[in-house]
Amino acid sequence: MSEVIVVTSGKGGVGKTTTTANIGTGLALNGKKVVLVDTDIGLRNLDVVMGLENRIVYDIVDVIEGTCRLKQALIKDKRYEGLFLLPAAQTRDKSAIKPQQMVKLCDELRKEFDYIIIDCPAGIEQGFKNAIAGADRAIVVATPEVSSVRDADRIIGLLEANDLRNPLLLVNRVRIDMVKRGDMMNIDDIIDILAIDLIGVVPDDEKIIESTNRGDPTILDEKSLAGQAFRNITRRIMGENVPLMQLETEDGFINKLKKLFGKKA
Amino acid sequence: MDESNVVFRGTVNGLTIVMREEDSFEDILSVIEKKIASSGKFFKGAILDVKYRGKALSKEQEDKLFNLMKEKSGAEIKSLQEDKNEIPETEPEEPYENKVKLKVKNFFFKGIDEGVTKFYKGTVRSGQLIDFKGNVVVIGDVNPGGVIEAAGNVIVMGTLRGIVHAGCDGNREAVVVALNLQPTQLRIADLITRAPDDADADVRTEFIPEIAFIRDDMVYIERYL
Repeated sequence: MSEVIVVTSGKGGVGKTTTTANIGTGLALNGKKVVLVDTDIGLRNLDVVMGLENRIVYDIVDVIEGTCRLKQALIKDKRYEGLFLLPAAQTRDKSAIKPQQMVKLCDELRKEFDYIIIDCPAGIEQGFKNAIAGADRAIVVATPEVSSVRDADRIIGLLEANDLRNPLLLVNRVRIDMVKRGDMMNIDDIIDILAIDLIGVVPDDEKIIESTNRGDPTILDEKSLAGQAFRNITRRIMGENVPLMQLETEDGFINKLKKLFGKKA
Repeated sequence: MDESNVVFRGTVNGLTIVMREEDSFEDILSVIEKKIASSGKFFKGAILDVKYRGKALSKEQEDKLFNLMKEKSGAEIKSLQEDKNEIPETEPEEPYENKVKLKVKNFFFKGIDEGVTKFYKGTVRSGQLIDFKGNVVVIGDVNPGGVIEAAGNVIVMGTLRGIVHAGCDGNREAVVVALNLQPTQLRIADLITRAPDDADADVRTEFIPEIAFIRDDMVYIERYL
């Protein structure tokens, strides 16, 4: 039974693409057959984050317009057997595809894959409508900022209006030290406002930027806290019951940080 | 007899005549004659290996057919024999797209030594596509995500970091030249190459002018200065 999951947020720059890359890699790591679909036509990034940019010959628009077969456009990941990428077109724009065509494409992909993870563009226009059209489930990414939470709230409303009930919340880029000082929104406050289930909390981590630039998903980094958070989220997606990572206790986090630096020094 | 009961089928090195077992040889012969007559000068000057199948012919009938072909078609018939290979009667229809490609192969842009050229001044940025049925010269850089598609050569007077496709309608003689050649992907005609995955260490400080071309079905990159 395959599942189409859309990763969305409304606001830009909160980590949709990073989340898509990491969750996809995590699922493939667990032996699932996964395809990542980039729907950010004209501003594609997922291929860069996955380090697969130089392999692109055909893209999602070619598939939809019938220029190539679906199989020709799927790019096999360089690390994992069961992981594929369907890249977005760069020289076109969002109006190149329609929601009905996306639904058809998702149904086609369902035959081959266990998980279809769709990277949604920022905004609520055509690109968003395309991305959510074929989805069964949604993950809403938000950072602990008022503007991001506001946009996430809008998105959740739109998702529900489009019959995507019970989206899951992923809080990204949490800085526990700032939360403790009261300078950053508390996760409980965010859940209070958005009133949806939490699938995970990912701490802010420099490693993310490093690995994104290198084209290696962070989830592969055993030492990275964010990597651990994504590994837990992946297991939750597969239906396991994994407790939330302990970021909450100040000591624990700082100790972990110390450990991290200790290992390096 | 209906003309569609005998089919002429072009093959790699000749012609195959497909006939039906139940038709008489005389009927077939007359249909073939009509077909050749209606094809005008199509066969004239061609050199053909002719095969037939669908019906077994005697030596005498073969000779008759051979002479008919020779006299009426204007082609030089090298041989005539029964096609023993069991090819399925109805060959799968080639997808439309492939047919277009085949046509393209014969009619590609040939002006790479001397031909129409587009000059583009400025940086080709991500998402921009320079598409031209001729040679393309970029006076500036091509950034990652930028695409150059030219039927002829591509010359970049700057750093080429994007995707480049020279000879995009099939000319394998086309070349790609750049003052600094570091493309995401480099295509010439039907060949596609990219830098090896472990090549991120080569951060060049100086420009090395390089040329990319096809030799023996491989894309070669050479310094030319």
